[in-house]
Amino acid sequence: MSRLPKLSEQIQNVSDPRDFLRTKLPELVDLDTLLRCHICKGFIKTPVLTPCGHTFCSLCIREYLNRELKCPLCLAELRESMLRSEFLVNEVIASYVGLRSKLLEIARNAPDVTVPHSDTSLIEIAPGDGGAHETSGDDDDLQIIETRESRPAKRNAETIGAFSKKPRLGSEKPGITSMIGKSKSPALPEDSAECPICQKHFPLEFLQRTHLDECLTMGSLGAATNSTSPSNPVNASIEPAHSIQPATRHVSEPLVPADITHSNRYMESGQNQGVARLAKLNFSSMSLQQLKAKLTSLKLSTTGSRQQLINRYNHYEMLWNSNFMDSIEPVEERELRRKLASWEATHNSLEGTPKKGNISKLLKKNSITRIKDFKTDRFDRKGWILAHQQEFKELLEEARYNLAKGSKMKDATSNHDVSQDPDHADSHPSNASYEKGEIPSNQLVVKTEEISTSSQNTAGI
Amino acid sequence: MSLKRITKELNDLGRDPPTSCSAGPVGDDLYHWQASIMGPPDSPYAGGVFFLSIHFPTDYPFKPPKISFTTKIYHPNINANGNICLDILKDQWSPALTISKVLLSICSLLTDANPDDPLVPEIAHIYKTDRAKYEATAKEWTKKYAV
Repeated sequence: MSRLPKLSEQIQNVSDPRDFLRTKLPELVDLDTLLRCHICKGFIKTPVLTPCGHTFCSLCIREYLNRELKCPLCLAELRESMLRSEFLVNEVIASYVGLRSKLLEIARNAPDVTVPHSDTSLIEIAPGDGGAHETSGDDDDLQIIETRESRPAKRNAETIGAFSKKPRLGSEKPGITSMIGKSKSPALPEDSAECPICQKHFPLEFLQRTHLDECLTMGSLGAATNSTSPSNPVNASIEPAHSIQPATRHVSEPLVPADITHSNRYMESGQNQGVARLAKLNFSSMSLQQLKAKLTSLKLSTTGSRQQLINRYNHYEMLWNSNFMDSIEPVEERELRRKLASWEATHNSLEGTPKKGNISKLLKKNSITRIKDFKTDRFDRKGWILAHQQEFKELLEEARYNLAKGSKMKDATSNHDVSQDPDHADSHPSNASYEKGEIPSNQLVVKTEEISTSSQNTAGI
Repeated sequence: MSLKRITKELNDLGRDPPTSCSAGPVGDDLYHWQASIMGPPDSPYAGGVFFLSIHFPTDYPFKPPKISFTTKIYHPNINANGNICLDILKDQWSPALTISKVLLSICSLLTDANPDDPLVPEIAHIYKTDRAKYEATAKEWTKKYAV
């Protein structure tokens, strides 16, 4: 409940096309806007094209089509079977998302970037800083999968590698470089100098304009001690900005030769032949037995009411078809089941009721239907814990917020506490909430006890 | 999904507020917002400030938000409870719409009422037969409740 303190943070972390408004490249606002889904407002994940020419996230549009059979943008008639995946757009967006924070950084800080120059220098200056913090705030679902396989890091690095390859190759062949150089300024091959950081020889022009920055930024990101000589004015303006950014691990290997760039991935993409589309079922003509048999054949749980089973199948069907029909890189069924579990934790049993009565719902779920699940070997323990983490956190925050309010503590301090140690809260819920000493009402005592027992349930099994 | 999208809209409204409208969460519940609309200058509601309450369903944006006037207003498409008769809030809702766009639509509903699909038939009747009387009453209500 105590979302207020987080609200401002949340809003600050929201990426918005207008991030580019006050930069040197306000034109990017338009591009940034175009690459977003009109349903979730985030960057399009697994884009699909409608016959009317509009593009949405696969999951967003499929979920909408379960309710209304029309395009959200032009209201033309639309069915799920009409959707077509768009691998190219997928890679374009993935590539842009990877570059976005860097683009933003450069567009903000560049002293005088003129558009023709920026084309090369933009990409050259700061390799390796993939849009990690941008995407993590934005594309939770996508990110979870990808970080598990540590793919975005690699991919970003590789993309940059591929882009920066051209100029670097050119510089190693003095012939080409001199030809390029002559057209602009009399930078001859013998006009080369040694880079003080990497000790390689480069044409002076290239060295000063781009290479030094690149070397320095890489140095400062990979190992902060390397960047000792910020003599270059361009570099000086970029340096502090970069030091704010988290030094993510992948920057240490940004120059690995690219074997999977976005364009390669696109070239190698093809329709997934092996897996069949999951059909929509006509539940009204199915017995409960048949329904359970169907779910069992998909290795899904068969507990819960008939409606829950139906919801479970419907959501899984959506995940399945989105994954195997639309995605350029389908994940395994196991991963889909994990997603289903986390979806169920927040949706399936809470259907139709407002958010507030979290506690009773959680209890109901735990005590009656779900306890059975724990005994089967199919029970996805990790998925369960992961799925409920958020709920537990929310409940704890709620309880603590009330506690703080009850004991007339200032909101600010309690909120601060809450936001400071969300991880602690998970492991010792009861301690954490009793720490404040006073317990204002009986109800709260019950609440916190319930929370701790329910979380012990999950942790214990 | 819904929370993320609502946060994005809030951010959007903060950065680029639509003219003559504003909206934001009430307290710390992101699913419950309050909005205000300035009476359009070319309407009998000019000079008034009208407050609305917005409730987001948990499956927003797949379902439309529930929006109602909390300020009393004399309008053929808005009843005494503040319910609004507007197609995009019902069957014409699309997830591509945003609160900002909906508020603008409500603004234009204030300027151009739709008496052929009324929520309050009496007001619609007066609107169609005696426009001057309608405008006078609307102005009076605005003065009384919205200034």
